[in-house]
Amino acid sequence: MKRRLAVLAVAAVALWLLPYGLSSYAIHVVDVTLIFALLAIGMGLAMGVAGQVNLAQVAFFGVGAYTVAILTTHSGFGFWTAALLALLATAATGLFVGTPALRIQSHYLGIVTLGLALAFTNWVTNASISGGAEGINAIPVPQLPGVDLSSEYLFYYLELVVFAIALAAGLFVVRTPLGRRMRAMRDDPLAAGAVGVEVPMLRMTAFVLASVYGGTAGVLYAGLVRYVAPESFSIANMFLLLAMVIIGGRQSLFGCVAGAVMLSLLRELLVNYPTYAQVVYGSVVVLVVVFAPTGLAGLPARLRARFGRGSGARQELRPFEPYPAVTVEDSGDGPLLDIVGVGKQFKGLRALDGVSLSVRAGEIRGIVGPNGSGKTTLFNVVTGLYRATSGDIVFAGAKVTGARPYRLAQAGMARTFQNLRLFRALSVRENVLVALDRTRMHTIWQYLLWPVGVWRRDRALREEGEALLARFGLSDFAEARPGALPYGIQRRIEIARAMARHPRLLLLDEPAAGLNGEEVRQLAEIVRSIRDSGVTVVLIEHNMGLVMSLCERVTVLASGRIIADGTPAEVATAPQVIEAYLGDSMADTVEQVVIEEANR
Amino acid sequence: MQVTLQTLIGGLSLGAVYALVAMGFSLVYRTMGLVNFAHGNVVTIGAYVASTFYMSAKLPFALAMVVAIVVTGLVGFVIEFVLRPLENKDFDLMLIGTIGFGIVLDALAIIIWGATGRAVPSPVPAAPIDLFGLRIRTYDLVVLAIAAAAMLMLMLFLQRTKRGAAMQAVAMDHEAATAVGIHVGRSNSIAFVIGAGLAALAGGLVGPMLYVSPTMGGALGIKGFAGAILGGFGSIPGAIVGGLAIGVLDAFAAGHFQGYSELVTFLVFTAVIMVRPTGLFGERTVNRA
Amino acid sequence: MSAAALEVENLTVRYGGVCAVQSVSFTVPAGGCLGIIGANGAGKTSTLKAVLGLVPRTVGALRVGGQDVSRVKARDMVRHGIGYVPEGRHVFAGLSVETNLMLGAYAQKWNAATRGQLEEVFALFPVLREMRGRLAGALSGGQQQMLAIGRALMSRPKLLLLDEPSMGLSPKLVEEILAALQRLSADGLSLLLVEQNAKLTFEATDSCLVMENGATAMTGTSGELRHDARVRRVYLGL
Repeated sequence: MKRRLAVLAVAAVALWLLPYGLSSYAIHVVDVTLIFALLAIGMGLAMGVAGQVNLAQVAFFGVGAYTVAILTTHSGFGFWTAALLALLATAATGLFVGTPALRIQSHYLGIVTLGLALAFTNWVTNASISGGAEGINAIPVPQLPGVDLSSEYLFYYLELVVFAIALAAGLFVVRTPLGRRMRAMRDDPLAAGAVGVEVPMLRMTAFVLASVYGGTAGVLYAGLVRYVAPESFSIANMFLLLAMVIIGGRQSLFGCVAGAVMLSLLRELLVNYPTYAQVVYGSVVVLVVVFAPTGLAGLPARLRARFGRGSGARQELRPFEPYPAVTVEDSGDGPLLDIVGVGKQFKGLRALDGVSLSVRAGEIRGIVGPNGSGKTTLFNVVTGLYRATSGDIVFAGAKVTGARPYRLAQAGMARTFQNLRLFRALSVRENVLVALDRTRMHTIWQYLLWPVGVWRRDRALREEGEALLARFGLSDFAEARPGALPYGIQRRIEIARAMARHPRLLLLDEPAAGLNGEEVRQLAEIVRSIRDSGVTVVLIEHNMGLVMSLCERVTVLASGRIIADGTPAEVATAPQVIEAYLGDSMADTVEQVVIEEANR
Repeated sequence: MQVTLQTLIGGLSLGAVYALVAMGFSLVYRTMGLVNFAHGNVVTIGAYVASTFYMSAKLPFALAMVVAIVVTGLVGFVIEFVLRPLENKDFDLMLIGTIGFGIVLDALAIIIWGATGRAVPSPVPAAPIDLFGLRIRTYDLVVLAIAAAAMLMLMLFLQRTKRGAAMQAVAMDHEAATAVGIHVGRSNSIAFVIGAGLAALAGGLVGPMLYVSPTMGGALGIKGFAGAILGGFGSIPGAIVGGLAIGVLDAFAAGHFQGYSELVTFLVFTAVIMVRPTGLFGERTVNRA
Repeated sequence: MSAAALEVENLTVRYGGVCAVQSVSFTVPAGGCLGIIGANGAGKTSTLKAVLGLVPRTVGALRVGGQDVSRVKARDMVRHGIGYVPEGRHVFAGLSVETNLMLGAYAQKWNAATRGQLEEVFALFPVLREMRGRLAGALSGGQQQMLAIGRALMSRPKLLLLDEPSMGLSPKLVEEILAALQRLSADGLSLLLVEQNAKLTFEATDSCLVMENGATAMTGTSGELRHDARVRRVYLGL
């Protein structure tokens, strides 16, 4: 911490003293570089942090600059009033450009945002209010009492202050709940939805954030150059900006800044050969994506991974500490989960056919059936990933058919995934923190008006997170990336993440898959403790031993239909189950297991 | 009515070029599940090579086109070769990698041919045909015919040949394709080369219609990509219909909104894609997005 | 006595830091039928993919019909007489049934013999003939499974690797698949069958290998294993 403060202090002093050695041309270059750095931070927030392909950043930049230009020269507003309105205008533009992200992603989003950026340049090139191809000049100098901002040296300090605030704000966002949710959404939108992340709203937020940074850069640009013309906001500049972000490392804001500085200097170095500069940075982009996808910012970690040794501390999975048991009084008002005649039709395939079952509060329900019999599809319909073709889902007395996954998560459903969907680029701790965070998107105003509140809440979350990790015996792995850990530990992290939601209903999709005998035993203990703490559990499982020993009731699916439902003993002896699932030769074994379990 | 029809014809002929560009996008997507953002820049290269050999080397137009197709095919081969480590791994990174190539290609075009554009004379007699009072340029008909022929050949290739079937199989399931003995890398390479060849075809053909300039390909690329998505990404007939639709949309937007045509075109495109993300012929055989 | 259809010695697969398969060895005799059973995540699919070379692996020895194939690329394994039926079928969904089958013979010249092989597959699974013009993605699960097997057979393999052919199928369809496998086996085809469905595996195979956590837990003839109390426990996960 002390070292970090020292580095920060040195950097601040160096930046403060920078103009003293520079010519008037050099300071102009530095001023423009800072503006590009701001743009790059915004782009990094959208693309690197939130995973939203945003090729409209120059348009945000342009909206900011042009709004200031038009309002000051045509409408006679003062510079600062115009600047404020310009930021509002870019935020609105961000909302507009971000709307398609609700429906489309990846390359589709790329072409749409690029198209909208082109639409913007097309508009300013033609409209008379924006001065057409000539643009607008004679934008007034921003007035600041006692400071002459027409001097590019003094303007530098204005930029520096704005840049420092913007970078700090960006870092704050990335490292607190909002940014964590964005990164979770980037890594796995499905799993993010399942832990209550409001994915659609968050995508819009990412675009608004990017646009505000773009708008700020635009305002500064208008104040610095005092002239705007369409070519400053061209697609060529968009790609230059993209190159900065990719080369620097899109997932790190420092990386984005480094990329912006590097490419700006390169451009300056080759100012007489702009096309050769273009060849160089285009080639670097290609080399970076192939050989160093995390960019400059990712290099230290890559080097450490290659040459460094792991930390000396021995890491081990500690035993699970059971939850305090509570007695659940049967409230008597119906089942917690009621699935009524649910059908799900895929193209040419009836995955679920009139499935009805209800789960009492406080029970552990097993769902078994051959591979492909529709078990996971049923989970996906219940948790809102799929929309049922027919039938209804009732959760805690409310009809929730067709509700979005995050709504169901917020209503108290949590789940794990058969193929493990942990957020790969987040640490184990962050995986849990994303799920622990129960704040809704509408509290986002705090970031603007009361960041201290956000910070306090984050601290409280972290404490809660440590307790949860300790309970699941995962404290030693808090800093690790989940992908590098053994399978059994990953499974446990997923359960911990689901439990971080404090759910009423926990859906486990094959939690024992890939676990060894001892791990299966621990799993059974964990699931029992979870149930005893008042959470209702539904689990899909192939491991018949686990199902038979753990569940009070078992539902058997085959070819999308329920073929049996009852106690493990009843189900295991039902002829249709033996036929469909276990096969004749296994029937006696199951009976034997059931008897052994009963005698325990 | 007369004006509407005339606009329609103008839109269709430019749309035919968009359709050719869109086909390149769709072919590469259908056979390797990748969006090649450098496709438009390859169009630029194709246009310059074709016009250079046609105008400076005085080759016949058709022969100049062949040279252009060979050159861009080579460019496509290089792009695929460099980006191969990312194939079947990271979709978005590959996409950015192709943008990087686009930046380089654009700069190379300026270095080789200069920043100013050039006009290319029409290779067929310039007198337009008069049909019921509608003026149709003969060259536009040639372009439409070539686009139609290219579509037919591409469809035949994909549906009737072993190689074509194998290339589609690669995009659908590269592991299963490997198991039946298909060389996935080679298949992708061929896809890219054909895609680049289509870009040269579009670039060479559009030369006499528009002004050949370094920025031409970028604009054509974006419109062509929009056409491909509008038609249903990955579908060859969809690319034709989508490309023509963008051309017609462009023409009418230019007629009614003059300079604002691009603005209108992209707003309409955005609206359509939001209502129907899979496009008109959307089948989504490849789903990696 | 001819060489074994497939010999695998000390096969190991790692994903990142996780060891999915740990020095597994087995032999499929010529014309014989070996089963690999185990729970989900036991490493069965990784084993099969590793034999084919679809995932990075280390292997002590890998011989097909006595010939070393440890350095043969995955795409050339079919030319050494190995057919592969992937888990979850993985047919080429956007292509027609017939094209799917013909692609199975991709490694050969398409000629009259290929047509003949197509007819043989149609004879084995008549429903595929009726559906020949349909898109593979529009078939039911059972039909897709037949298509996947048929596709693998088109290369006239000597050894067929099957990954969970019973997955998601009704008991009746599983019986049909089983019958087809038994017919193929009777015709001299060697089989390596990976399954969760122990019943099917015991019926279809001569001997079995039981996997647990990426390692071999047990081996024996199918007849012995089906009555072995330990297998029942391992299989039931106790």
